Formats: sequence, structure tokens, C-alpha cells
Amino acid sequence: MASLRAFLATPVGRFVGIYAAVLSVGFLVLALRPVNDHVVNPYTTFVAHEARLALNLLGEGATVTGQVLSSPRYSVAIFNGCNGLEAILIFVSGVVAFPAPWRTKVLGIVLGFAAIQVFNVVRVVSLFYVGIHRREWFTVAHVLVWQSLVIVFGVVLWLVWVRRYALAGTQR
Amino acid sequence: MRSQERSADLRTFLRRLPLALIAGVAIWVIARPIYGPFLCSAGQGLARLFEVPPASAIVLQGEDALLGRTDMRAGSGWLKLPLVFLHFNLVPFLALVLALPHPFAGGGWRRLLVALAILAGSHVASLTLQLKVFEAGSMGPWSQANYSDLERNVYGTLRYFFDIPVTFALPLLLWVGSYPQQVLALVGLGHLTAEIGGREAHR
Repeated sequence: MASLRAFLATPVGRFVGIYAAVLSVGFLVLALRPVNDHVVNPYTTFVAHEARLALNLLGEGATVTGQVLSSPRYSVAIFNGCNGLEAILIFVSGVVAFPAPWRTKVLGIVLGFAAIQVFNVVRVVSLFYVGIHRREWFTVAHVLVWQSLVIVFGVVLWLVWVRRYALAGTQR
Repeated sequence: MRSQERSADLRTFLRRLPLALIAGVAIWVIARPIYGPFLCSAGQGLARLFEVPPASAIVLQGEDALLGRTDMRAGSGWLKLPLVFLHFNLVPFLALVLALPHPFAGGGWRRLLVALAILAGSHVASLTLQLKVFEAGSMGPWSQANYSDLERNVYGTLRYFFDIPVTFALPLLLWVGSYPQQVLALVGLGHLTAEIGGREAHR
């Protein structure tokens, strides 16, 4: 217990502590039924429509019903955990926990949100094509490849934000 | 100059990351045949810890785990769960560690093993919770007779917690917590590592 307190007193410990706290509260809020019904589900439908637009640019003729993205060749349901909200929350928690001016944090959150949106659309569209062409690889591509990439992408985005924006003033 | 050195650190990390991801997948592929049986037997052991008679069962079937009970009629429902959903986060964790400069220097191996043990513990807990949620809510009258609404809610909440927040965030927390000096150097706050080093030496 004493060593945990000593760790939490270090700059890294403070960051890890705030990060874990913001993340836990964020995930708890997302799990609440009213938030799920009025925020998460509409957001997931929005992600499905983004992917539909991208697929239709590629001539797929996709449609969306609820959170199900379909074309004549394949269909996928987008669930919680696949809508990018987790990656956004992980990134936002890292930004909030890092000691930086609030203006820089807001900029990071806005830019990070947009970047993760684009990344997630690429992910959904690529998985759609994996489903069409290599259905047996879908689970591996969905979970092992893309979930891993989402986590790593969130970290890279955060590192870039810290270096380019949060610490920009202090490095000169 | 120092700023340029810091940028070089980050560039090196980003350059190493794709290879580290491939290495992470390779280690995952090699470890999977041993790790799957370990997860199933540890998860079943944990589920049976306070159970009389011990009948909760987790059976490995290929890449999946079958969750159910041995004291139910043959043909009763078993839940099939791809184990990759539980342990895929080994890959991003290993990738982030392997992409760091000198990850095994200065006790790095020991910290990696501790972090992997914590990650494995989260996988076992997650698998056990999947089984408990299945037992508490999906076995019809048996579930109603043996689990209260409170237990269903507690297990359901814990499963969500392990399914999403723990799965996605634990690798990052372990990465930062296990390699604070390297991560701080990476973000350009290497000067703070003296403070951490000092405290660790003091203890």
C-alpha cells in the first residue's frame, strides 16, 4: 500500500491514477442505460452511416437498418466495442490526464475524435470486404488485427498529441 | 538538441512499431496452444472455488471455450466463446513493449513478466465472469432458482467492466506502469525519470 502511494505521488503515478479514474468513470457512464439508448446507440448508427457512405463511394450499394450495414454481398452488425467509442475514450482519458493547458486538451480531443472516426470507418469498410472475400478470416481480422490496431492507434495519436501540442511550448 | 533527440526517440518507436506488432502476433500465435488450455483450466478452477458440488465447466474446443455445467442434462445449452476475444490484448501490449528502446534493460524482463501475469489474471477473471453470467441468466428456470437479480446485475456489470474497459485499457496502463522511464522519455519528459529513479532507489 505504501509503495502504491509512493508510485501515485510520482508524475507517472499521478498520470496513471487520473487516467484510470477518468477512464473508469467514462466507461461507467457509457454503460448506463439512458446513455446507451440516447448516445451510444445513435452514435453507432451514425458510424454505420459513415461506413455506408464510404462503401457506396466504392460502388457497394450498401444500406443501413438500425446498426446493421448491408449490401447485396454481405452484412455486418456494428455493436458496442466496434463503434470506436472505446478508442475515443482511451485517447480522451490520456489527454485529460496529461498535464497541459485546457485549450490544448480541447484541440487534442477534437482532432483525436476526428482521426479515430476516420480510422474506424477504414476498419469497418475493410472488415466488410474481409467478410465478402475471406469470411473465415473475419473473426481474426475483426478481433486480433483491428482491435489491436485500434489500441495502438490510440497510443500513437496520444504520443503525437503530447509531442506536437502539449509539450510544444516547453521544448523550444 | 535535446528536443531533436526526443523526436528521434519517438521516430524510432514509431518505426519499430509495425515490426513489434508482427512480433506480438507471432508470440501470440506461438503461445496460443499452451495459453488456451491454461485459461480454460484456470477459469474453471476459479469458478469452482466456492461451488458445492463443483459443476461449472469450461472446456476447450479448438480455438473456442465451451461454457456450461456438468450437472445439467446432456443436450443442455453450452455457450461457445472464441478465446481470441479475451486474450487478443496480449498483441498490442507486447507490440508497445517491444517497440520501446531497450525494453529488457534494467529489470525490464521482470517487469514484463509481472505485467503479463496481471494481464493473464484479467483473462482468467473475464472468462470466469462469462461463465457466471451465462449460468446466472441463460439457463432458464435453473438460473432463476440459483441466482438472484442482484447477482445477475453484479455479474453483468463485472463482465462489461472486464469485456471492454479492462480489455482495452489494461494493456496501456501496464505499459505505462511497467516502463515509466522509457514512456516518459518517449513523450519528451525524460527529465522526470530522475525523480522516479530516485524514489525507487530510496525504497
